[in-house]
Amino acid sequence: MNKYYKSLLIAVLSVFSFQSIQAQTITGRILDELGEPLPGANILVKEQPKIGTVTNFDGYYTLTGFSPGKITLIVSFIGYADKQIEVDASSGGEVKVPPTKLEESSNNLDEVVVVGYGVQRKRESTGTVVSLDSKDINDIPTPSFENAIQGKAPGVQIITGSGLAASPSIVRIRGISSISAAGDPLYVVDGIPISQDFFTNGNSGGMNTNPLASINPNDIESIDILKDASATAIYGSRGANGVIIITTKRGRQKGLKFGFTSTLGVSQPTKVPEMLNSSEYLQLFEEAWINDENTGTPSFPSSIPMSWEEAKKYDTDWVDQTIGTGFKQFYDFNVQKGSKDYNYYVGLSYDINESYLLGNSYERLSGRFNGDYRVNDKLKIGVSTSLSRGDNNRVDAAWSGGLGAAMSTALPIYPIYYDEDEYSFDGNGDSTLTASKGDYWLKAGIGNNPVANRELKSWRVREYRSINSVNVNYTPIENLSFIANGSYDYMGQIEDVHLTGSELHGFEGIGGVAFRSPRQIHNYSGFVTGSYNWKINEDNNITFLLGTEYQQSQNYVSGITTLNEDSLLTTINYVLDVDDPYYNLENKENYDFDSTWLEPNKRFNFLSYFTRVNYSYKNKYFVQGVFRTDGSSKFGPNKRFGYFPSISGGWIMSEEKFLKYNAVVNYLKLKASYGYVGSAGLPPNAWRSIYAVSNTGYNNSQIVYPTLLENPNLQWESSTVFDLGVEYGLLEDRIVGEISYYHKRSKDVFLSITPPSYNGTGQFWDNVGEILNEGVEFSITSRNLVGEFQWTTNFNIAYNYNELVSIGGYSEDAVSGGTNDTRTVVGKPVGTNFLVRFSHVDEETGAPVYLDINGEETLTWDPKDRVAVGKVLPDAIGGITNTFRYRGLDLSFLFVYSIGGNIYDSSSKRQLGVVDEWNKTPLIFDRWQEPGDEATYAKLTLDRTNLGSTTPWINTDLWLHDASYARLRNLTIGYTLPRKAVQRMKLTTCRISLTGSNLLTFTNYPGIDPEIARDFENATDRNMSPNISYLTPPQEKTYTLSINLTF
Amino acid sequence: MKTIKHIAFFAAFVLFLSACEKVLEFPPEGMNIEEEEALATKDDVLKFLNGIYDVTANFLGGRYQGIADVLGDDLMKPEGNNDLIEVYDHNTTFFNTSTNGYYSNPYFGIFRANRIIEIIDDYDFSESEKQRIDGECKFLRALSHQKIMELYAQPPGFTSDNSHLGIVYKTQSVSGILSRGTLAENLSLLLSDINDAISQLPEENGAYATKDAARALKAKVLFQMGSYQESADLVSTIVNSGKYSLGTDIDRFLQGANSPEAVWSIVSFVDGSIIDVRSGFFNGNYKQFNNGIPLLRATPDFYNIYSADTADKRIIQFFELQGLTPDEFVVCKKFDKDYFNVPVFHLTDLKLLRAEALAESGGDLSLAVQDVNDIKERAYGHSANNLQATATASEIIAAAQYERRIEMFGEGDRIQQLKRRGAIENENIFIRTNPWNCNGMVIQFPISEKSAIFEMNPSGGCN
Repeated sequence: MNKYYKSLLIAVLSVFSFQSIQAQTITGRILDELGEPLPGANILVKEQPKIGTVTNFDGYYTLTGFSPGKITLIVSFIGYADKQIEVDASSGGEVKVPPTKLEESSNNLDEVVVVGYGVQRKRESTGTVVSLDSKDINDIPTPSFENAIQGKAPGVQIITGSGLAASPSIVRIRGISSISAAGDPLYVVDGIPISQDFFTNGNSGGMNTNPLASINPNDIESIDILKDASATAIYGSRGANGVIIITTKRGRQKGLKFGFTSTLGVSQPTKVPEMLNSSEYLQLFEEAWINDENTGTPSFPSSIPMSWEEAKKYDTDWVDQTIGTGFKQFYDFNVQKGSKDYNYYVGLSYDINESYLLGNSYERLSGRFNGDYRVNDKLKIGVSTSLSRGDNNRVDAAWSGGLGAAMSTALPIYPIYYDEDEYSFDGNGDSTLTASKGDYWLKAGIGNNPVANRELKSWRVREYRSINSVNVNYTPIENLSFIANGSYDYMGQIEDVHLTGSELHGFEGIGGVAFRSPRQIHNYSGFVTGSYNWKINEDNNITFLLGTEYQQSQNYVSGITTLNEDSLLTTINYVLDVDDPYYNLENKENYDFDSTWLEPNKRFNFLSYFTRVNYSYKNKYFVQGVFRTDGSSKFGPNKRFGYFPSISGGWIMSEEKFLKYNAVVNYLKLKASYGYVGSAGLPPNAWRSIYAVSNTGYNNSQIVYPTLLENPNLQWESSTVFDLGVEYGLLEDRIVGEISYYHKRSKDVFLSITPPSYNGTGQFWDNVGEILNEGVEFSITSRNLVGEFQWTTNFNIAYNYNELVSIGGYSEDAVSGGTNDTRTVVGKPVGTNFLVRFSHVDEETGAPVYLDINGEETLTWDPKDRVAVGKVLPDAIGGITNTFRYRGLDLSFLFVYSIGGNIYDSSSKRQLGVVDEWNKTPLIFDRWQEPGDEATYAKLTLDRTNLGSTTPWINTDLWLHDASYARLRNLTIGYTLPRKAVQRMKLTTCRISLTGSNLLTFTNYPGIDPEIARDFENATDRNMSPNISYLTPPQEKTYTLSINLTF
Repeated sequence: MKTIKHIAFFAAFVLFLSACEKVLEFPPEGMNIEEEEALATKDDVLKFLNGIYDVTANFLGGRYQGIADVLGDDLMKPEGNNDLIEVYDHNTTFFNTSTNGYYSNPYFGIFRANRIIEIIDDYDFSESEKQRIDGECKFLRALSHQKIMELYAQPPGFTSDNSHLGIVYKTQSVSGILSRGTLAENLSLLLSDINDAISQLPEENGAYATKDAARALKAKVLFQMGSYQESADLVSTIVNSGKYSLGTDIDRFLQGANSPEAVWSIVSFVDGSIIDVRSGFFNGNYKQFNNGIPLLRATPDFYNIYSADTADKRIIQFFELQGLTPDEFVVCKKFDKDYFNVPVFHLTDLKLLRAEALAESGGDLSLAVQDVNDIKERAYGHSANNLQATATASEIIAAAQYERRIEMFGEGDRIQQLKRRGAIENENIFIRTNPWNCNGMVIQFPISEKSAIFEMNPSGGCN
């Protein structure tokens, strides 16, 4: 009996079960606005949150396993607005849902933002975070990803570097609040605070290191820019200058997907520098000669080693000899796969980026593997690893030569080559051949023959960069998870310089000389976090995060350890009498560059503990508290640990009754935060008293002497930040945006003080400055037209007021911005142009007239009359992007702009000053020539005293200009091939685009380029002297053709 | 309960890690050490003291002398060196890298001297050792301040009571923002230091400071102040010691040895592979390389004063007129050596000083004549050109100044003598075209010195 009933029961259940399976299938397809499939879109059953699926490559989905009935499907895909679909699945069998089109969302309020040690839904975030996706970062071909951010994130100032390949940009978030400490934001790649030293190679050759160039922009999934204290306090002593979190791509597609991108392009300068030709130079020299009451044939000073007659023979356009058209190629191939238990992303790219400077290129080969494996329901392991090799083939630039020489000391009267044999004669009349026809003409030194300098010098900086992390995520019970992350960031640079004819370069060597300078930075870090989500009830939810982190960084340098001529062990970094760079030497194993040692005083570490608590009530009120404590070897013993709290709140007003059904406003969130964050961009060991011992002191005896005085109270810079913001969505999110106000007062600003010399102590480091940054940011995205023809406008503007409130009683010159004549003036912005004022040129005499400190006219230039006359920081920055789409065609253009602020063309003081061994620009033609002339520039002279000064080159505000500009940063025309066409080619998507960058610039600046970040001597210089130009190569204008394929 | 256990365990783990603060402490790397370790022993203190001599040698190895002489009237315009041209033009600015670099060096030494004086009692030195170290520190502190005073402040006598501004005379190592003292205050501290040094220093001290060095410094300071009799007495003490002699060689810049007339010298040390040249400024700027034009050249005017006297070994041996009119220049060959010791105080200077001091103060004129003649006889190799024993005070003064100018060429002395004559003797002195007391006759301080309480020198030079 029992057996009978059992069999019957099984049979009945089997029938019901079969019926149930048959009834629980929903199929459909998800498309984008153009009707193209969206693979990887998420489908969730609203009433049954554990049930869901994703679309396949063709956008199709099949949903099973849900309980029958009327259900609501929530369709979501990153970058698109969620959509809900009502489905009646109560009748059983397969329910076919008509194709569903998702619309792009410019608000993405339901997207997640990366906030440091976790993610948050943007809706719930109380911080001010700008999120950019892969498309934003790759819409313009740049060797370094940060360049692509320009104009897209409100309050984020990007000053792109010079036209040199892979030159670094300056990135400043909400103004500048550091002076001698690094003012850059903290860069975090996949949770790792990476090495970001811009000075590993000083400013050698007129360019700083770009530590970000080795990251392949195509590997980046998203960039989140954390701006206010609510968002940055979790990074404690390193959050004050903002945090840029870079998340690389991971496999998120179900199944296997391939992607391929190829870009070809050309590079030219935004503007070709104009210099005088030979006859013009000679004409002006002669005019100055006569003005100075000299008679007869002019003769050159000893710095111009040729006769007047000889000079007339030549006319070399050195600018033309140093610039040309650079070619660019970029190839990227990636594979990604996702499944329930694992996913991976593999990317490989190759980039050859020639600048318009002949001989200059940046070549990057990079690979990445990111993978995740779900061991079981509780344990997941993730790996992120990347390896790149960047070869920067350098040329001298700016003050170091090359184009810089062409714009200065390489005179047009100098030939490139000897045009006939040259002999020297001794006292007996015997001749010796000193140069043959066709040899490089080097009488004025090799630096003043940029062609010879380029051809006889090989210079490569090879950088290996590997950023790696292992991440273990353990979820022992629901809502509780622990994450352990360990990482290793390696940066190795090998600089190879080979000089042909070492003596020509002023180096006392034999034959050719090959220099090698290896440098390494090892950066280890790891963190452990625990988070618990306590859902108290339907309305109340609290999330706790607790964590600890450790980071250590140390530098190594290498050299050949050998015996010198006195048999003493010594270290050198060169090999003599060789014809090739070190890496091409056949016997390089004879030279051991493995003698590696710790670079003194570069090691530092951080030990941190942090917690974050998020509370939400009714999903419309949000409160967040963050507390972090950072200890660091960078801080003095009396201030070893700093404490950084923040509190913030958000209120979604549009959820309240009074707004819920408003016809215009569909989303409105008010948020505010207040917190205390720090900046630890000070050099390691700056607090220590450092004494040095020398064995070769006076009288052949040892000496001990101090090099730095101790400051045990040296600490982080501290910023108190208040932020008030409104996020809005209007007309069903047709218009979305954000308005923010911030007030940031930074104290204990870290200064490298030049104290009065009578103290006898040299420079020292102290926390004495105080800086205020206050500003307003506004952004709006408007989908002006929707439907088949679409038009979207993104606009943002940020106004910032910057003021140096205090500098601890020191003078304006106690901290100087390198050689750039920017100073720290209380009551003025950081980076104030502090100059003698130029009034006019005297119409009767042609003499320059200056203003003294009281504003009275004077013919004498005296630095005591310097006053604050300009600022390198703009009043407002921003960008506007318009994007048009029609079927497969798209057109977008981005204008970036900068309003207010000044640019100081430091080279003008020589290009337009006393007539000497510098070539001049054609602007000099507007000089005084005879009584009655109203001229911009003074009467030409060879004698600086005629310009009212005993110093030869005079800094005045005559060289200071309005730096306002608007620039067509990016113009892209693209075409996405129809699906049917690409399917015939066995592809999933295919897009072809043509992009032009920096095509147009609107500015009143009379110089070459109004947007410039020259090379800097140190962090102080970098903070105080952006927008100072000194023979700096202008930025590049590029035209590129790209093809993107997925299959 | 399980949740609480997990959270408690994790919290305990984080707390456990908080005990790892020690990882933040590690010693400095490389050759660098902190003060506690650097000055751990008595020997370290002596090395620290030697470090004061090291910086003193840096500024007295020609930099002080060069700047002082460019300010004066013996040298031509140093074409090509913009910093020194400012000095030559009597219009230095506070951005002058060369003068600013010079200015900071003596203060490095002063800081070190002050630090040693402050900590010396912490070490187990004997009383005599302490006395010597303290004496050396005070001597070097005084000398360093004096070499700043001479260039950066108007001289004694610029105001009748020396109430004009001097420099910062630093007697403590602690840093701060300070004001300039009056020159009278500076001189008081200076003489106090020198007096202490005279009483504490030993008679013999190898390459380092001695009582005679301190006496010589005091004699020179008093001479500049117009305290001629006291100055002459100090010189007599040195001369009468019998330790120094003029010798027969007109060259006192000797390679590898001190001149017999040197009371105290900056020593260059070269021995095999050990090369410590302290005369680089002289070598680099006066020496003629490959028939080129040296940066520092004597004026034809200077040359013409002496050139007619073909018996004078000094003009023949040390100077050569080159180039064609109007581009003539005079190469000084006095420093045509790879390296040499630089006598800071020597008998020639002191004897000529005593001669002038005695003549000015109504002292023993026969001794003054003898002092001048000692110098002359060495220059000519005979006594035919000697002053007469009956020479008047003014004749002695003129002769002493004539000898001094060529003897001390290149030693930075001329400008100080001109200023003394203007300030103390009220002579109508012009240095080239500018009066001895115009603003540009003192070097401008570095901009780093400027503060609400530190008054810079008047700018604008002598125009």
